[in-house]
Amino acid sequence: MASSASPLKTTATGYATYQGREGHYAFLLHRLTGLGVLLFLIIHILDTSTVYFYPELYEHAIALYRSTPFMLGEIGLVFAVIYHGVNGLRIAVTDLWMPKRWAIQTQRNAVRITLAISVLLWAPAALWMTYNMLLHNHGINLLPFIGTH
Amino acid sequence: MKPRFEAIAWRAMRYSGILLIPLAWFHVYLQDVIVGVHAIDINYVAVRLANTGWVVYNFLLLAFAFAHGMYGLRQVSFDFVRSERGRRNVSILLLVLWLVISLIGAIALIGGARPELITH
Ligand code: HEM
Ligand code: HEM
Repeated sequence: MASSASPLKTTATGYATYQGREGHYAFLLHRLTGLGVLLFLIIHILDTSTVYFYPELYEHAIALYRSTPFMLGEIGLVFAVIYHGVNGLRIAVTDLWMPKRWAIQTQRNAVRITLAISVLLWAPAALWMTYNMLLHNHGINLLPFIGTH
Repeated sequence: MKPRFEAIAWRAMRYSGILLIPLAWFHVYLQDVIVGVHAIDINYVAVRLANTGWVVYNFLLLAFAFAHGMYGLRQVSFDFVRSERGRRNVSILLLVLWLVISLIGAIALIGGARPELITH
């Protein structure tokens, strides 16, 4: 690559072409989920603030969060918060207390375990949120024996 | 930026992250999974923000999650912006955004929800 390549281009092609495998995917996903949660958080702080500044607007904001596309987004958001947290914990604990474990082989396994834990923590929440979405937005009750609430 | 600041921030990212696991996870599980958006309205928020314990909780969440996220965004942006000047500008921009949005959030938490102002 030319030495004068722009940092933007170097970074962007680096994202796509760096061959670190598991560690690299974990880094990308950590970055993506962190930025995604931050974007949500900025909007969330502002829409929650309407309860004080413009209480009439809050209902509109919440109505949006109840729509099917947003509820699907929220299911993704829950995964992002969980994965970023589990993976962030792996990074923090390794960095602060056991830096020797930053060997590639050790981390390959750690990354797989991180992903497995995240999916396990997320799955029950995702199923419950899907149940609620179908019930409230589409009138489909997947668990009729529980009754509606 | 001074190396000392970056070293402290590096540690702060890790410790705040560990703290955010109980703080952010409990908040999201409670509001989005257990209560759910169909049960949340301004009256629900009014009751919660009348409780000092939850106001303090939300305050900690606001302070730690948002500072952690904005500092993280600064790190990401530094991978794209390499010049000293550019990094300074990005830092100032993010600092101002962080202060303004934090202030708005903090005022709302202290002021509480005011459903009585809805006219229709
Ligand atoms: C749930 C608990 C959390 C933990 C354990 C955690 C942990 C971490 C750690 C250790 C880093 C540093 C990564 C590195 O330097 O390589 C980081 C980066 C980051 N975090 Fe978090 N975090 C958490 C929650 C959050 C939340 C709620 C947000 C959004 C508001 C967020 C946004 C970010 C961003 C944008 C970065 C920068 C990503 C990058 O440099 O690639 N994090 N997190
Ligand atoms: C879609 C999922 C979420 C729902 C339904 C939700 C719901 C709420 C509600 C109803 C409030 C009002 C205060 C209260 O009732 O205690 C609130 C405030 C807050 N939430 Fe969430 N939340 C969600 C996700 C998140 C996430 C992922 C974060 C950050 C990591 C977060 C951070 C905050 C903060 C900082 C406040 C205080 C805002 C302010 O200063 O006005 N929330 N949330």
